[in-house]
Amino acid sequence: MPEGKFCNKKPLETADEIIALLSDKGGAQYYEEMATLDVDSDLLWATLQKTFKSRMKTWFEICAHCGMCAESCFLYLINDRDPRQVPAYKIQSTLGEIIKKKGRVSNQFMQDAMEVAWAKCTCCNRCGLYCPHGIDTGIMFGYLRGLLYSQGFVPWELKIGAGMHRVYRAQMDVTDEDFVETFEWMVEEYEDDYAGLMVPVDKEGADIMYTVNAREVKHYPEDLAEAAILFHLAGEDWTVPSRGWEQTSLAMFAGDWAACKMQVESVYESMARLKPKRMVGTECGHAHRATVIEGPYWAGRKDGQPPVKSIHYVEWLAEALREGKLKIDPAKRIKEPVTLQDSCNYIRNHGLKAATREIMSYIAEPGCFIEMSPNKEHNYCCGGGGGFNGIGKFRPQRNKALLTKRDQILNTGAGLVIAPCHNCWDAIRDLEEEYSIGIRWSFLKPLLIEMVEVPEHLQSGA
Amino acid sequence: MFKKILFATSATEASDHAARVAFNIAAMNNAQLNIFHVLGVPTRGYSQDVLDVKTKEKVEADDEYVAWVKEEVATYYEKQIQDGMKVEIDVAVGFPHREILRQARDIEADLILLGRSTGEAEDSVYKKSIAGSTIQRVLKAARCPVMMVSRPAASFWGGVSNIVCGTDFSKSADRAFEFAASMARALDGELHVFHALDISPMLMGKALPQDTIEHQRREAFRRIRGKYLPGMEGISKYTMEVWEGIPFVEIVKYAREQHADLIVMAHHSRKSEAGESTLGSNMEQVIVRAGCPVISMNR
Repeated sequence: MPEGKFCNKKPLETADEIIALLSDKGGAQYYEEMATLDVDSDLLWATLQKTFKSRMKTWFEICAHCGMCAESCFLYLINDRDPRQVPAYKIQSTLGEIIKKKGRVSNQFMQDAMEVAWAKCTCCNRCGLYCPHGIDTGIMFGYLRGLLYSQGFVPWELKIGAGMHRVYRAQMDVTDEDFVETFEWMVEEYEDDYAGLMVPVDKEGADIMYTVNAREVKHYPEDLAEAAILFHLAGEDWTVPSRGWEQTSLAMFAGDWAACKMQVESVYESMARLKPKRMVGTECGHAHRATVIEGPYWAGRKDGQPPVKSIHYVEWLAEALREGKLKIDPAKRIKEPVTLQDSCNYIRNHGLKAATREIMSYIAEPGCFIEMSPNKEHNYCCGGGGGFNGIGKFRPQRNKALLTKRDQILNTGAGLVIAPCHNCWDAIRDLEEEYSIGIRWSFLKPLLIEMVEVPEHLQSGA
Repeated sequence: MFKKILFATSATEASDHAARVAFNIAAMNNAQLNIFHVLGVPTRGYSQDVLDVKTKEKVEADDEYVAWVKEEVATYYEKQIQDGMKVEIDVAVGFPHREILRQARDIEADLILLGRSTGEAEDSVYKKSIAGSTIQRVLKAARCPVMMVSRPAASFWGGVSNIVCGTDFSKSADRAFEFAASMARALDGELHVFHALDISPMLMGKALPQDTIEHQRREAFRRIRGKYLPGMEGISKYTMEVWEGIPFVEIVKYAREQHADLIVMAHHSRKSEAGESTLGSNMEQVIVRAGCPVISMNR
């Protein structure tokens, strides 16, 4: 069977198609169909010739097979140093083979490559830091995912996720109306507690345009309220766009390049429309990577930068605390051992390690903050990055991958883990569920809300 | 009195007492009853999996599953849903407090009814001694009165005829009084306004001289009269009382003595330390201890 009903080379383009694929529980039929899905070798080779360019060509040529990347990969370490988990091997045996064979690969090969691309690499890019030649296997796996996606070999959940971005310009079925309505609802809920609290929608020329993760809207809108409260207390001139508010990109995890472009352009359009001085994104790692680091290239921006200066939430927060826009009540600082998860996507890949540590210096009593080891740009992936968290088919592998983070956390002795990244937060939540080590975990916003001083004129009137 | 009642239920025994009251009030008020069940919480990152709150299993909450759960809820309340009643059943996926508040806002409920916290089997003892976090969060944010029925003794609803309104003289307590008074007027019931003089902090150190306590009690009496007497118009029988002690104990005792069939109180949205469920406010203690339904007013 060349193309399946669910598993095929066609992206999801309508809400009905998403619902239909969702009704295939766990992707049972989807994966069954995948077993007989044809590989379009001509298309694969043509795509390669158009997109496999000098950087990756060079990387393949200069890889000395020295194996220094092995020890850098947490999946290699956690899987008993299995040679098949060495980053160089992983990419050579997948992308390397496709190139060598000019796209003439079998269905089984593609299925195996899918497992390597989504269950043996989280695109954390740690190996790139340790390779003497600077070869970044994570980048190449991101590329391989794109090839696999274009051939229909993509995990079920990610096909859906990418479809969500195409249909809703959000990672979940949250419409623009839902977003604005939910934000307004949240502000309503808290306006009695903070005098003058409001959510300025589509305000032109504001200092800050705030973008979020659709999950906040759908499942924990308190996060939106907390963001509003903290901007309000800091006296910021801020706004949210009624369109182009979603910063994340499951399309990036899926390798759906066209959807990546559509998604990020929706955010850039809102920047063009509202002309804010800066964009601040929520506490999410891959959202920052998608919209701030990689997005400009997807959108074909020559300078490699988003249309307006875009910063991560931790950068804004560090600045607000540094400049005294937000003041911490010293009595309410964290007084227990606490550790911090470095999100690969904005710590290793965008150098923001100083920002999170500056925040820690304000919110934790001296001596309470304990670094994981290794940390900063050397930190390990949470274990669920790159889409790993949400893929049912690769659940056992993901659960094993959590062990690295579990042991890192245990070694700190901290009872509280601050994870300013949705994906890390999820992984750490899951590792507590799987392995019960008695920790709590939190984003920064809820902790800050409990600690900041509320200026008298902003206190509730009641 | 009520037109649209949102009965948020776990569809388990924990909500049975609340269910009895919910169906009763709905029938008496000829109100629309929206039976609302949050079937599971999202899990697994962005995936479609949810953790079913009842079976504790991971499921995919697609249309088929949702329809099945709806059917289950309907079956659970089969005996109570009578002909002619305006009953709707809705189920949702999400964090219970958030979805209850969302639903209340969507359907413009004028009363939310909650049962006792379901807790977890292992820590049920802990859970039973404090109101669960779903209740705390709904109480804090709800825009309409929230009624809680946590003990079987609280569920014998034969119509409201005897309301105890607890006050601490705050603005929100005033609104709770207005609501209690309007209920008493509408139902031609009795209204007992009660203030508990909180002497619990004093018990930590040396006991307060009795003269001081009695002086404060007289002061409180004066306040209660000054504040609430004008609002008693049209209420055939009312009383006012001030007792000293630990507030929640005194309110529960007082309600018992008055044979109250409803307690109305204001909820204070004071934040607990680090947002944790703590053995917190008087409101939460009254909810789990009272022998009758408790209505919390927030705004």
